[in-house]
Amino acid sequence: MSFIVDLIRSIIQSMLQLLSFGKKTIANSLSIYVKTNTGNTISVDLDPKWDIKNVKEIVAPKLGLTPEEVKIIFAGKELDDSIVIEDCDLGQQSILHAVRAHVTPNKVNVHEEHPSEASKPLCETLTDLQITGPERDDLHNEEELRRIKAHFFVYCSSPCKNMQTGKLRVRCLSCGSGAFIVDRDPQNWDDVLKEKQISGVCENETCVGNSDGLTFAEFYFKCADHPSQGENDSAVPLSLIRSNIYEVPCLACTDVSDPVLVFPCDARHVTCLDCFRTYCSSRLQERQFWSHPEYGYTLACPAGCENSFIIEVHHFRLLTPQQYAQYQRFGAEEYVLQAGGVLCPQPGCGMGILADPDCKRITCINGCGFVFCRQCLQGYHIGDCVLDGDGTSELKGDCLYSVDPNRADKARWDDASKVTIKVSTKPCPKCRTPTERDGGCMHMVCTRPQCGFHWCWVCQTEWTRDCMGSHWFG
Amino acid sequence: MAATRRLQKELGDIRTSGMKSFRDIQVDESNILTWQGLIVPDNPPYNKGAFRIEINFPAEYPFKPPKINFKTKIYHPNIDEKGQVCLPIISAENWKPATKTDQVIQALVALVNDPEPEHPLRADLAEEFLKDRKKFIKNAEEFTKKHSEKRPSD
Repeated sequence: MSFIVDLIRSIIQSMLQLLSFGKKTIANSLSIYVKTNTGNTISVDLDPKWDIKNVKEIVAPKLGLTPEEVKIIFAGKELDDSIVIEDCDLGQQSILHAVRAHVTPNKVNVHEEHPSEASKPLCETLTDLQITGPERDDLHNEEELRRIKAHFFVYCSSPCKNMQTGKLRVRCLSCGSGAFIVDRDPQNWDDVLKEKQISGVCENETCVGNSDGLTFAEFYFKCADHPSQGENDSAVPLSLIRSNIYEVPCLACTDVSDPVLVFPCDARHVTCLDCFRTYCSSRLQERQFWSHPEYGYTLACPAGCENSFIIEVHHFRLLTPQQYAQYQRFGAEEYVLQAGGVLCPQPGCGMGILADPDCKRITCINGCGFVFCRQCLQGYHIGDCVLDGDGTSELKGDCLYSVDPNRADKARWDDASKVTIKVSTKPCPKCRTPTERDGGCMHMVCTRPQCGFHWCWVCQTEWTRDCMGSHWFG
Repeated sequence: MAATRRLQKELGDIRTSGMKSFRDIQVDESNILTWQGLIVPDNPPYNKGAFRIEINFPAEYPFKPPKINFKTKIYHPNIDEKGQVCLPIISAENWKPATKTDQVIQALVALVNDPEPEHPLRADLAEEFLKDRKKFIKNAEEFTKKHSEKRPSD
C-alpha cells in the first residue's frame, strides 16, 4: 500500500516541480531565494502548503545533491522535513539557506532521538519572549496558548516609514551568514537585544568565529509588511510595544486596546498607543523630555516610576513627522546646552555652537553668520552687556544715509516678540530660563526638566514658607 | 481623543456610583472638559450648606492635572477669596495620570471637612482656626448661611 501512496506522491511532486520550472503560477506562490554555502543563490517559487521535504527535492538537484544530503536553515533553525512552509513566517523574497549535511547516515536516528520540537521554526518559540516562564505556566489550556500570537513591532524606516509588525531573524555574529543554527531559543528580550547571549553553529565553511573560535548568534528584525529587500533590509525593534495578550487597560484612557506600550518600570505600566502619542506630544510641547546621558532625549513612565526611561528612542517615531522633527531639534538643543554650548539667538536660526568656554564673541559659523555676545545673546559688543537688549549689531552696513537710531530701534521686526517675552516672563533665579506664569499661585517650578528649581514669582528667589504665608496667591 | 473618552467613562462611573458628597453634576454636552457640581460636606461648620465647584480638565488630560475652582464663597483656611484651592493631589509635581476624578473629589471633600491650617491659603483664617476655634466656627457658620447654596433634600 505505502509504495503506491509514495508513488502517487512523487508523481504529484514531480508535476508540481514541472509547474514551478515552467514558471507557471502556483496559487499563492511564494517567491523565495535559496542561498547555498558555496555562495550561489537560486530563485524558486514555492507553494505555502508544501513541507520542507518538497523544498529539499526541488533544491537538491540544483546543488548536485540528493534531498537527504540537504539541510534547510531558516531564522536560526534547521527546518525539519515535516514542517509546512506557511508555518514558517516566510515572506516574499525571503532567503532560505541550503547547506550540505555533514553526517548523512545517522541523520534519521538523530531525528528520532530528538523529537521535531527542537527544530520548530523560530517564530513558534517566540511567544516566550513576550511572556516570561512563570506567566506561561499560568496558561494551562491550549486555547489560551493558541490565542497568544507572537507579534513583534518594529519601526521600518524604509520603505514603510511606519510602525509595522516585525519578524525575528538570525545571522552569524562573526561572518553575517544566515546559515546559522542557534543552540537554544531566546527566552527574553535580553537574549535578543544584547550581544553574545546565544551561541550556535555557523554553516558557512569559511567562517572562523570570533577570536576564541566561538560562533554567536546575532538577532535582527525585518519588517513584515513589505517584501524583503535582501539581507541588509532590517528594522529597529520596538521592544516596549506588545500584543495586549492580558487585555490590560490603558492607564490613561482605561480602554483595552491592542497593541499597547509597556513601560520598563517595575509595575510595567501600560498605555495604549493613542495615549502614548498624547503623552509624548504634551511633554514635547512643554519641552519636558529628559536628556539622559546614556539613552538620549527621552521620557519615563507617566506614572512617575523610577528607572522607567525609554531606552530605544525609536519609540518616539510613533509621533507625527513634524513632532518627531521637533523632538530631534529639542534633543539636539538640550545636548548642546548640557555640553556647555550656546544656541544662536537669531530668530529662525538656533544653530548649536560648541565654543571654547572662555570665548565671549561667538560667530554662528555653520548657520546664519550672526556674531553675538555669549552672555547677553545680543549682537556682539565691547564692554559690559546692556541688559535692556539695546546692544547694537556690529554690522553697520554700507548705506550712505543715516537713520535716527531711536527710530530704528522701534522699527525692528522681532522687537514685538522680545518685548512680549520681557513683559510676560521672569527668568528662573537659578538657570535664567524665561518663564511665563499663566495663572495659579506664585509658587513656580522651573520648567526646564533638568533644573526644576522651586522659586517665588514675587520675590524671584527660592520658594520659602514666608512666601507661602504672605503672598502664595498674590 | 484620550481626554474625551476617559472623561466620559469617569463621568458615567461617578454618576452611577452616586457620591453623597458630590451631587448635581452638570456637564455641557459640547464640552466635557468643564464640570460643575455641588460639594456637600458632612462636618460642621460647613454641613449647613453646599458649595458649587468647577473642575477644568486640560486637553492633555490625563497627562496634565485638572484645576478646581470654588464658585460659591467659602470661609475656609485652604480656599481663598477667588475660589482657588491648593490640593496636593492635583499639583503638577504630584499628579499621576492614573489618578481618577473621584479620588480628586474625595480629597477635596476631605479638605473641606477638615481644614489643614499648616498649609493655609488664608493665613488670617488659619490663625483664627488654631487660636480661637469657637470664633472660627461661629464666623464660618454665619458665612455659610449667608453665601452657600441649599443642600439637596434627600
